[in-house]
Amino acid sequence: MSIKGVWATHRNAIIVTVSTLVILFPIVYSAASSILIQTPTPFLELPDEKYQECVKDKEYMRFHHMDLLKEIREEFVRYGNRGDVSLGSCRGCHTSRQRFCDRCHNSVSLSLDCFGCHYYPEPDTAS
Amino acid sequence: MDRRKFLKASGILLSGTACAPGLPLLTGCSSTRADRERTLSKYKWGMVINLEKCRPDCDACMVACRKENNVAFHGDKRWDVHWIRKVNVREKDSPDTAGKPVPLLCNHCEDPPCAQVCPVQATYKRDDGIVIVDHHRCIGCRYCVIACPYNARYFNYKENPDWPNKEYPKRSHGVAESCNFCAHLLDQGKKPACVEACDKINAKALCHGDLNDPDSEVSKLISSNPVKRLREDLGTEPKVYYIGL
Amino acid sequence: MEVKFARIEGRSTPFYLAMILLAVLGLAGVFSTYLMHEHGIYLSGLTNRVPWGLQIAMAIFYIGLSAGSLVVSGLYGIFGKMEYKPFARIAAYLAMLFLIAGLLSILTDQGRIDRVFVEPFTYFNVQSMFSINPSLYSGHILICVIYLWALFKEKGRLTKIVSLTVCLWAIGTHTGTGAIFAFVPRELYNSPLLPPSFVAAALSSGAALMILVIVALSRATRRPLDNELIIWLGRRLLVVFLLCALYVMLIENAHRVYLVESREAGLFFLFGGFHSVLFWGGLIILGSIVPAILLFIRRTGTSIPWIVFASSLVVFGVLCERFLIVVPGLIHPPNLFPGMEVTGTVLEEGIAQYSISLLELLQALGVAGIIGFAFLLGLKVLPLAPTEARSSV
Repeated sequence: MSIKGVWATHRNAIIVTVSTLVILFPIVYSAASSILIQTPTPFLELPDEKYQECVKDKEYMRFHHMDLLKEIREEFVRYGNRGDVSLGSCRGCHTSRQRFCDRCHNSVSLSLDCFGCHYYPEPDTAS
Repeated sequence: MDRRKFLKASGILLSGTACAPGLPLLTGCSSTRADRERTLSKYKWGMVINLEKCRPDCDACMVACRKENNVAFHGDKRWDVHWIRKVNVREKDSPDTAGKPVPLLCNHCEDPPCAQVCPVQATYKRDDGIVIVDHHRCIGCRYCVIACPYNARYFNYKENPDWPNKEYPKRSHGVAESCNFCAHLLDQGKKPACVEACDKINAKALCHGDLNDPDSEVSKLISSNPVKRLREDLGTEPKVYYIGL
Repeated sequence: MEVKFARIEGRSTPFYLAMILLAVLGLAGVFSTYLMHEHGIYLSGLTNRVPWGLQIAMAIFYIGLSAGSLVVSGLYGIFGKMEYKPFARIAAYLAMLFLIAGLLSILTDQGRIDRVFVEPFTYFNVQSMFSINPSLYSGHILICVIYLWALFKEKGRLTKIVSLTVCLWAIGTHTGTGAIFAFVPRELYNSPLLPPSFVAAALSSGAALMILVIVALSRATRRPLDNELIIWLGRRLLVVFLLCALYVMLIENAHRVYLVESREAGLFFLFGGFHSVLFWGGLIILGSIVPAILLFIRRTGTSIPWIVFASSLVVFGVLCERFLIVVPGLIHPPNLFPGMEVTGTVLEEGIAQYSISLLELLQALGVAGIIGFAFLLGLKVLPLAPTEARSSV
């Protein structure tokens, strides 16, 4: 069967398949690349000696820091309930945003919306 | 199971730690929300502005506000944001009279139209009566700017280039904002920046305090002077009172 | 009567040219929206005093258009008028597209587009018309899809039920849209007559646009069309909607000027500047009186070119009306100090200025481009257009 014949008989099927592939491409691509290409886990700069422990354990913070931040945010902004923890108090130990927040977020290409409005200076540049 | 509980539970499950269900409140807050709400609702913040003491060519309050709250100033009337602004008001058809200066700010209405129309509940009234914006939620529809009958709400059309007060966040472009009586200062037991500035130059035209407390300065001023509020006919019950309007 | 529907051929050069032009417009709109999202809404002509402008006016214009299309579709769906069956599908399809266009216009106008898909659903505010309306709109689009499916599958009973639902829903949608403005404490917005006036104008513009689309389609595809159908739409339907809209508007303005408290605002609306030219010239004379006379006179009211002309005037008039709903209410200052005059200020006081910027115009054209593209594409891949349309069985 010639190409023209295939096109004529399976036109709709081809269109649907191709468009589905195009739509799903980003998902398939990222899934495949995460399996096939071993990207090294980004090295996050750990806080210095004065650090004793974080407000929650490491595993929790690794996966759920955003939930914690969001909860603090809701408590403070909406109920005026300023707790002991805030984005500012992270700064006490994690001094560098570039070497802590940004490194991981860049490697998973998640853009951060916090620092357009909240100040988080770099230790070198802060005066 | 509500969302909060769900998050908490999934957090515990996913992190795979043996953290007991007896985790304290995630934030580690010293006081619970209920306590705090009670403390907030004790107050009813309000302001009294004495126009006789307000100086005509003074912009101390505006400057102080910009500095404290990182309010965007581009030098263009179309996009400048003013949490507090001063206008000059005079009798109609009398161009020779000088008129008097009137500071205008968010009136922190008891029944705020801006909070009523906000589709995401970003603008809301706190328990102490302050109308405040949660900029993390605002989608920038500008409906609140339309609904405010006092022109007291502003939209960030442009990114703010300055950041004078690093302790306080600024706002990105695309969100609405208005005066919040410097809620962060009130929480620390201080006075709003504009009031502080006005006291500093010894004009003392602005007075801020608790309307619930009959012995506070504002309550005394209100009971001992003829006061007016803006557009009382609308029934929004503003909490900014003017003497000598 | 057996009505046949068929895809249009869609292989001619003009067709492809039109598709390309519309796609380019759409891309331009996307680009200008991207610019505004990155740099801020100041790139549009909007200012502190006029925070809503062209895009919101276009949004309510599109949303209005969808109602009229549904009514034409409902003539067959609800009342079983077989002679309107040829247009039922195309009208339902257009109604859906216009609703999407309205939503796109609102979407592109937001300051934080990235949040629009999450926050309004998470933090629904029942008191806000801006919260209620998107639910009405999405419901509307959904019902339109079901309706379209029922029409394609020729489901008689289902068509009737869905058609009735969608027409009632449309009235709710348009009342809601009018209420966005009517329920706000501003002199030129706050009016209980605004929602009904909105519905009436919506119906007339929609019916007028349907006439334009049907005639254009039958000319372009050289498929026969019975003049009687167009004449009935024009002389029986359009003119009634037109006069209703005019009547409500008359009462609204008379009420505003009569009451002392809103007289100044009312007079500003009627005689206060460029928008008054739009009101009298665009809406009243060109958009209402001239087309009404044209449709009333037997000679012009029964000739297709004249009806088409009158319909385009109506669409133009309603476009003016939408602009007049949004903008004058904003440029008119709120009366903070009754009997006093505000001078010397850091904010634009008094009558504000609003001029449409190029990027804003591109956004509006972009939405039109996307919708036009989808319409042409729909004609090509779906059996929407009738092969012929006759009134006699």
